[in-house]
Amino acid sequence: MKLAIDENRCKGCNLCTKVCPYKIFKEGKKLNRKGIVVPELDRPERCANCRLRNLYGRQLCGVCQLTCPDQAIHWIEEEPYEPHKVAIEY
Amino acid sequence: MSYEDWFREDRLPHIYCAGCGNGTIINCTLAAIDQMGWKKEETVFVSGIGCSSRAPGYILTDSLHTTHGRALAFATGVKLANPDLNVVVFTGDGDLAAIGGNHFIHACRRNIDLTVVCMNNQIYGMTGGQGSPTTPRGRLSSTTPYGAAETPFDLCELATAAGANYVARWTSYHVRELEKAVKVGLVTPGFSFIEALVQCPTAFGRRNKFRQVIDHVEYLKVHSLLKAKRDRMLENHEQIPEDMYVVGELTRRDRPAMGVKR
Repeated sequence: MKLAIDENRCKGCNLCTKVCPYKIFKEGKKLNRKGIVVPELDRPERCANCRLRNLYGRQLCGVCQLTCPDQAIHWIEEEPYEPHKVAIEY
Repeated sequence: MSYEDWFREDRLPHIYCAGCGNGTIINCTLAAIDQMGWKKEETVFVSGIGCSSRAPGYILTDSLHTTHGRALAFATGVKLANPDLNVVVFTGDGDLAAIGGNHFIHACRRNIDLTVVCMNNQIYGMTGGQGSPTTPRGRLSSTTPYGAAETPFDLCELATAAGANYVARWTSYHVRELEKAVKVGLVTPGFSFIEALVQCPTAFGRRNKFRQVIDHVEYLKVHSLLKAKRDRMLENHEQIPEDMYVVGELTRRDRPAMGVKR
């Protein structure tokens, strides 16, 4: 699973930067095609739902998705054999 | 199946302003409804007029967009005509407390099996930020340029006094709690009222020194007082600050209800 922001729906309110316990969402810097500053993802492989959803078979955390007023945050399945980045936290 | 299947994908993105909390409340409500396992054909969303009342237009079920303040009156009719339907009412504070106040207390009194989700943004957002019956004292709006002088309505107290079976209040910051509260409200037979305090960056935040959306959400988070803590403070005879909102499950009882599924 990987985290994705739908650029067509996001309105750039930056509420996700506030609620994520891992602080994965960062305020963006560049305007997109619609003139909106979409948040950037900071090491999204740390997201608990991305790592453990398939193992547990249920939604974990998911506060960013519930909080997003524009329904812009969702998880997508990775393609087979997509290279993974592993984040180790001490 | 997840709650995202309940959205009308072709209607999104919705027209709410950037940072408006109404979208969050729709997410939470739909997440709770999705857990109930209801069919889309047996679920009806009713709403009145206002920002919050545009919500059913983005949901892939039968819906009823009614006249100003009369959402509960129409929902009563839907429920009593066919008690097998599951009726959820989305409403705002201007809709429910101001023009529809009488319908609200009488729906509570009759204890009809509805679930009402009130998105309370403490202002009339759609029409240009006029003061509503829930604007807190001293807050600026376009009709109260020197600060609101009146005492606001406490909708949860009103619903409890009028006889609702389940009353809860949360804010748009407490998404998981709100989802659980809506679910309990959907399960409870009889009138369940869930008030969700939401931020309104365009009409309320702009005039009240909440420069960013996050500032207002932070304010709601800091100024919410859990009911258990409120009770503890009352026991210890401590002073409860006036600007705090009591959040949590405020009422849960089992009065005889109307229109419950046969």
